[in-house]
Amino acid sequence: MAPIFRLESVTRHYGERLALEIPELVIEEGGIRSLSGPNGSGKSTLLGILAFLSPPTSGVLYYDGKRVEWKERSLVALRREVTLLHQSPYLFEGSVHANIAFGLGIRGMRGEEKHGRIEESLETVGLGGFGHRRARALSGGETQRVALARALALAPRVLLLDEPLANVDRDSAVVIRAVIAGLPARGTTVIMTTHDPDVPGCSNGEVIRLEEGRLSRSRDEVATGRT
Amino acid sequence: MDYLVESLKVSLSLILALDPELCQAVRTSLYVSAWSVVLASLMGIPIGLAVGLTEFPFKRSVITLLNSMMAVPTVLIGLLVYGFVSRQGPFGGLGLLFTPAAIIIGDALLATPIVANLALSSVRGANTAILPTAMTLGGTRFQSVLRLLSEIRFGIMAAVISGFGRVVSEVGVAMMLGGNILGSTRTMTTVIALETSKGEFALGIALGLILMAVALAVNIVFQILQRR
Repeated sequence: MAPIFRLESVTRHYGERLALEIPELVIEEGGIRSLSGPNGSGKSTLLGILAFLSPPTSGVLYYDGKRVEWKERSLVALRREVTLLHQSPYLFEGSVHANIAFGLGIRGMRGEEKHGRIEESLETVGLGGFGHRRARALSGGETQRVALARALALAPRVLLLDEPLANVDRDSAVVIRAVIAGLPARGTTVIMTTHDPDVPGCSNGEVIRLEEGRLSRSRDEVATGRT
Repeated sequence: MDYLVESLKVSLSLILALDPELCQAVRTSLYVSAWSVVLASLMGIPIGLAVGLTEFPFKRSVITLLNSMMAVPTVLIGLLVYGFVSRQGPFGGLGLLFTPAAIIIGDALLATPIVANLALSSVRGANTAILPTAMTLGGTRFQSVLRLLSEIRFGIMAAVISGFGRVVSEVGVAMMLGGNILGSTRTMTTVIALETSKGEFALGIALGLILMAVALAVNIVFQILQRR
């Protein structure tokens, strides 16, 4: 597999504080990668950079072999391939259908094709028929599943998940785990932060571990900077 | 007391009879207020968004300035615009002084800081995840800001309504730049001021009632939209 992401000498500062410092990291395309580490270790910061939402303070990020230019025009095209699902996802005001339609509409999808994609993604997360529901009236677990459906509808090449199982009920967790496990077969690379040992990816050794903003050298595959 | 009660009775009869002078003042007031709040929104909302969504040097000073501008007296704005549109002023040749257009300009300047400040408050109070969410779903910066605007639309509407409330009830700008000309620039507030100075309360009270009704109607419409 070719690398989908390569980071070289990447740092991210918040004011004076160093939040992330990665001399080198290569992430291959395909499969599920877990990003682990204690709170404040830089996991969300790294996901923000990989999602092309916040630029590193210094260093270079390569996506699909090409150096990322942090200019709005090129970033929009990249963001349409890489989608980030936040830990506390924000659902827009309006219906579940309208939420999922947002990204599809931006991509020019209309009519039956769009409607079909929305229904299909809702079915995938076990919320078929939820399209007409008010997004803000959903439970925590339903919110997380709708946000996942909203991301899945876009068929991203890379899906970044920030603690997707935090604050969800048991039933939702079962569904989300199953959906995530099936994503590589659909051609989506998954990179996720989680503390849940039952999530696929946590058990097969493909773990990027961060501590205080730096790659941990506790595992062989990370010590080489390659996962 | 009888005098006030009698004035109230006459004022109600003026309203029911759709007195031409009263109707003209109401029309002029609503016309200049609507246009000035449109202009104030076109300036104030982008200012509020720009200040709220970007980081730049002296941002705090700009916010303090915007806050201070909310308290600028209407007569000062009237004086400033008068200086520009009077015959000796740089825009004197346009013949704007003592026209509804002059009032619209002054009122727009009056309402802009209010709309900008309240729009800024809405932006700062908005969920910080809105923009990143819209962007990670593939939105351009512009599309994402439009999404943000949609999410905070009630705050923006409140800003516009506050701006409208400010201009429809002000008298300084309308008097100085409009000149209170019957049939042209006479607004509800300038009629109230004029009639009161003449000791004629009836028309003033009638217009005061209509002013209150306008404020109430605008707020009712806002509440209905909010519920939807």
